[in-house]
Amino acid sequence: MSVEITPDNAVDYAQAAVDAALASGASQAEATLSIADRFSAEARDKAVTKLEQSTGRSLHVRVFVDGRKAALATSDFDRGHLKDAIAAAVAQARHVASDPYTVLPEMNGAPRNADGLSLFASDVANRDAQSKIDEALQIERRMREIDPRITNSNGSHVGDSVSTIALVNSNGFAGSYRSTRVHRSGSPVALDGEAKRTGSYGSASRSLGEMESANAVAEKAVRRTVELFGARKPATMRVPVIFERDVAASVLSDLFAALSASNVSVGNSWLAGRTGEKIGSDIVTIDDDGTLPGLLGTSPFDGEGVPTQRTAVFERGILKTFLYDTYYALKLGARSTGNSTGGGVGPNNFYLHAGDRSLDELIAGTQRGVLVLDTIGFATEHASGTYSRGARGFYIENGEIAYPIEEFTIAGSFPEMLGGIDAVADDLRFDGGVVSPSFRVREMTISGD
Amino acid sequence: MLDPADVNRILSTALERGGDYADVFCERRLATSFRLQSGQIHESGLSVTQGVGIRVIVGESAGYAYSDDLSFEALQRAARIASLIARGNSQERSVRVRDTGVTPYYDASRTAHADSAAYVKLLERAQIAAREFDPRVSAVNATVTDELQDVWIGTSDGRWLHDHRPLISLGVQVVCSRNGDRAQGFVGDGGRTSIAFYETRTPESIALEAARIAASNVEAVPAPAGEMEMVVGSGGGGVLLHEAVGHGLESDFNRQGVSLYSGRIGERVASDLVTIYDDGNLEGERGSISIDDEGNPGAHKVLVENGVLRGYMQDHLNGTLMGVGSTGSGRRQSFRVMPQPRMCNTYMPNGDSAVEEIIASTKRGIYAKSFSGGQVEISRGDFVFMVAEGYLIENGKVTAPVKNATIVGNGPEVMTKVVAVGNDSRLANRHYTCGKGGQYVPVGVGMPTVKISSVTVGGSNVG
Repeated sequence: MSVEITPDNAVDYAQAAVDAALASGASQAEATLSIADRFSAEARDKAVTKLEQSTGRSLHVRVFVDGRKAALATSDFDRGHLKDAIAAAVAQARHVASDPYTVLPEMNGAPRNADGLSLFASDVANRDAQSKIDEALQIERRMREIDPRITNSNGSHVGDSVSTIALVNSNGFAGSYRSTRVHRSGSPVALDGEAKRTGSYGSASRSLGEMESANAVAEKAVRRTVELFGARKPATMRVPVIFERDVAASVLSDLFAALSASNVSVGNSWLAGRTGEKIGSDIVTIDDDGTLPGLLGTSPFDGEGVPTQRTAVFERGILKTFLYDTYYALKLGARSTGNSTGGGVGPNNFYLHAGDRSLDELIAGTQRGVLVLDTIGFATEHASGTYSRGARGFYIENGEIAYPIEEFTIAGSFPEMLGGIDAVADDLRFDGGVVSPSFRVREMTISGD
Repeated sequence: MLDPADVNRILSTALERGGDYADVFCERRLATSFRLQSGQIHESGLSVTQGVGIRVIVGESAGYAYSDDLSFEALQRAARIASLIARGNSQERSVRVRDTGVTPYYDASRTAHADSAAYVKLLERAQIAAREFDPRVSAVNATVTDELQDVWIGTSDGRWLHDHRPLISLGVQVVCSRNGDRAQGFVGDGGRTSIAFYETRTPESIALEAARIAASNVEAVPAPAGEMEMVVGSGGGGVLLHEAVGHGLESDFNRQGVSLYSGRIGERVASDLVTIYDDGNLEGERGSISIDDEGNPGAHKVLVENGVLRGYMQDHLNGTLMGVGSTGSGRRQSFRVMPQPRMCNTYMPNGDSAVEEIIASTKRGIYAKSFSGGQVEISRGDFVFMVAEGYLIENGKVTAPVKNATIVGNGPEVMTKVVAVGNDSRLANRHYTCGKGGQYVPVGVGMPTVKISSVTVGGSNVG
């Protein structure tokens, strides 16, 4: 039989899963229950094309048998089935090698609660469906009004979620918190003669009050779509490259992977063994901070109940620390930085500190260079720190945007890029967990014709 | 898992406000996995994905709700939410589903996982083989995942179908180190089969292939930058078709007029050497499906024939609106999301050039034997690929391995630049997963050796 699981009894339910694991022979156990009410509306032109609404639940259980670990993820809440699945996890753990660092975090004091973190916004939780549907239609209408070349779209989306996370472990931790998230996006298709282009822009926040307006989202989506009409393929050259803030954030995501202790521990990081070294230029200061109120990467505790904190990762270019969960902290002789995802290492709010010049000023200060607006592809070589992407953007000449360019790659290495950052803009915006202001790298390779 | 009588009532509820079509997708998926890292079995996992998704289609609109609570009341609630997309008045709709047969393209008899010890043994054998291959091997990581998915699909046009889908995968990553330089090789294989697959495709053979690539990459020179010829290797080169052409032929993009291939059926879109199929019914392949996630058979589709565009990959919604029906291409990641038109196994059949001639005819180029990933932009077809194993070709000879090569180009343009197609077509190792709109599904790719007269290689070595 299945039970009604609600935000109010979520902790009790997680506790029952921990008890079941111990009864099956686990020496330690942890259970995380997530419940999320999700809503999403999609519009194309004047029609609502998709409406989705559901309550999703999932339970993650980690069982430890004397340093041997197995993880269970399930959406089957039948009591008998759950008991069997947990027993199967315990049996499976016995085939894993024993590792002295495979333990739960030690708990000191009461779990941190979410007071003061502003994770839950009632303006999101209490919003009626019709206003979200109307807003998706509004983004569609606005995009077409802004530019007559917008004749079609891949759909505008408005959605939100209201989530409860409850975490219990056998070291006595029991905590829970609720949070909200709202998002808006537009994906116009523009036609100019025979030429067709797509683009998109989306924004997200914990609360409606902090959100970019539907009109602002529509305007940015349109700009991103039409600004590259007439793009040429640039020559192959070495020039300064400005990463516009969203692309800059994707560079930081790659950097995070090299800072994650899980990669450092197996040598899959170009930063391994280099703490204390000057890697970035003087203006490279990067924090991971899970305590900033109201942000998407904020939470009272991480995926294994460790309180989040502010961690200075790069200070004026010097690498201060890697980012750890409990396992890799013990293994590498450090302390957890509150970066557990409940199975790996992940960012809280991971960001590059903003500078004091506008993006326009960065462009004006660039004689000849490239402004990158968008990249495609993904790097896999965290070990060597090489960076290579397909890209689109603008060619800059005499401090001005000269013309749009595409079908080229940018290549370099992370040491060269971080060390070569010679200007950081003031346009930092916390619309995701990993964010960055725009920045300029002194020189990189552009491959075109 | 659901009683067809209940499914009838749920579908009736879903259509009570009107609507052209409704379906119920019920899923139970059990997966088990083991990972070897730093010389030992590091972790193990299992997952149970269980729930029901209910969809109502009205014209080009769809309402959707899912539930992991399988009680009849919860499913009726979900059906009512999905029905809100329709604006009609309350009316009685009677639906009666009947058992509908499914022709299986994989062995559906296996209903349980193997013993944990058997999976662990595969990983250990892979590790030993890789370490013995070369003293420069500094790390071996390996993962085995075995999955059994059962789906039950009920449709308002009266079908009730069940499919049982096995899927196993063993992936081995080998890292080689030399004078502080590190490079990796990755090879994975498996398919819609069982652990018995590895009796013939041994873990040793997979590990040795990964170790050979890592050892080659650690000797590699920086990739050249600029325009040059490209020879794409057989098998793994098929990622090129998947990205450069395949996504642009998915019907949602075409019905909506977003794709650059919209409205171009019957037109020449590639060199006449180019023929591309998408096939859901190849025995045991990773992208095969006896039925898609809307209950339609996974068919053999001709996408491009001798350079002429023949058809799109259709799911129910888009195929109905375009008046051609489904091609069995409606796939989804899980019960939590609606299906989309997707690829299955996408490949190019044999041409008539010998591989040696293709290489010998290449003056200065890059030989991309396999890709580690790629991405495409649909409206223009611009793509990027990362080369996993690549070499220089100089004066008709394969010379040094190259590292970190990224290929950028435009799909339709590249397809017109295909100047030779080899006679060695084969499907790639079975480890590809395709992402679209946040949904990931297993796919297959394949291709003979193909020569493209010019692409842009993004390396760091200018001139």
